[in-house]
Amino acid sequence: MSNEPKSPGPGTEPTASRSHLPMWTLVVLLTLLYLGSIYFDHHSGWFDKQVYSPYGTAAELELYQPKSGAAAAAAQGRKVYESICGTCHGNDGLGKPGQAPPLAGSEWVIAKGHNRLAHIPLAGISGPLSVNGKEWNMAMAAMGAALSDADLANVLTYIRGSWGNKAGEVTADDIKGIRASLAGHSQTMTYDMLMAMPE
Amino acid sequence: MKNGFVIFLAAFGVLLMSWSTFVLLPQLQLGGAKQVAVLNSSDVYPVNRPGEANQGLQVYRANGCAACHTEQVQQTGVVCEVVLTSAGKNPSVVSNLVATLKLRSLTEQEAEAAAGKITAAGGKAETHVIATGADIARGWGLRRSVAQDFLYDNLVQLGSLRVGPDLADVGRRRPDANWQLLHLYAPKSVVENSAMPPFRYLFETKKIGATPSPDALILKKEFAPAAGYEVVPKPEAKKLVAYLLSLHTDVPLYDAPFTALQTSTNAPAK
Repeated sequence: MSNEPKSPGPGTEPTASRSHLPMWTLVVLLTLLYLGSIYFDHHSGWFDKQVYSPYGTAAELELYQPKSGAAAAAAQGRKVYESICGTCHGNDGLGKPGQAPPLAGSEWVIAKGHNRLAHIPLAGISGPLSVNGKEWNMAMAAMGAALSDADLANVLTYIRGSWGNKAGEVTADDIKGIRASLAGHSQTMTYDMLMAMPE
Repeated sequence: MKNGFVIFLAAFGVLLMSWSTFVLLPQLQLGGAKQVAVLNSSDVYPVNRPGEANQGLQVYRANGCAACHTEQVQQTGVVCEVVLTSAGKNPSVVSNLVATLKLRSLTEQEAEAAAGKITAAGGKAETHVIATGADIARGWGLRRSVAQDFLYDNLVQLGSLRVGPDLADVGRRRPDANWQLLHLYAPKSVVENSAMPPFRYLFETKKIGATPSPDALILKKEFAPAAGYEVVPKPEAKKLVAYLLSLHTDVPLYDAPFTALQTSTNAPAK
């Protein structure tokens, strides 16, 4: 080999000569760098603090958030219920004595149709009525009028399906129809008015 | 050593790089972590554990539980499954369709497509997201552990060796305080082949007084003390059990989503 360093003479410091980086080493290194960057792209999540394996990217994580179906609707309903309705009716749906009647097992909530029930949050209610065989004489403002159709439908679906209640779901289109029929109507509901309309 | 200063700079640079990636960057990223909302709920997570359970963490530490138990659930995958919730007005059409569809172990896109077909046929379907992995198959948790789970732990008892099972979700798996106490006093009395040493010094064996203690353990014959004696947990044992029961990682978070079946927290306690 011509480029091999000459053996040093006695008493001299060993030295290294310079030589070029062999081409194959460069190719191997660049290939490793390329494969490494592909691996990084698939597995790093770009160091997002919310992205853990098995999710590769924030977009993939977003994709797997549960969103469809009745579970999500009821969950959204629960969220709205607990922030607005639960203050008086209780997060457990049992109502509060002297404040609001129970919703769990209430004949108004678990009725076959949701027409009368939907009128209560949309228009408010006042005057005497009975719930679970107990007389109540209170007033409730139109708490649901400010909610979107979908949110109110989710709330009604939630209260009709929670705490042992097993009544059907309410859709946003149902609420839309009832809201339209109440346009221009400013009076709160009473027991007689509710009983006069279909269930 | 004519390049001494250069070598020093290079070594210092390497140390600086590892310090910033292992200490500084994680601190910047997670140092300000706060409570977050539970998915599809108004609840927040995590909630600081009650005082007794917080003291129990120190008992856990003092007894070296982390030498044999981890508190980190691993997850290797995620699958979706499509659940038919209503057959609609044409049950026969929908059921024929469902029989031809693959409904389990789907990716998100496949699941949405299958749910879309069922909806188009007049039925109703929902998509459930399910975490998978060896730990989850063992029932050690419903999802992987994320940084959020350790927000109120001081010190964090991650552990690295699994002589015993993972305890990240033990409060859900073993919610019975009496079981936990029996298991600490005599592991073999409740788990036949347990390798765990008994922690009898967390209990006191004493003569039964005028009336038996209300929290004396009810032990099997071969583990029971001599007649006329009873085994009563010391405060440390109660604290430790309170800590174990506070270990829950069973709520879905944005970082680790899954579909929580039985979302209602109003179910009567068992």
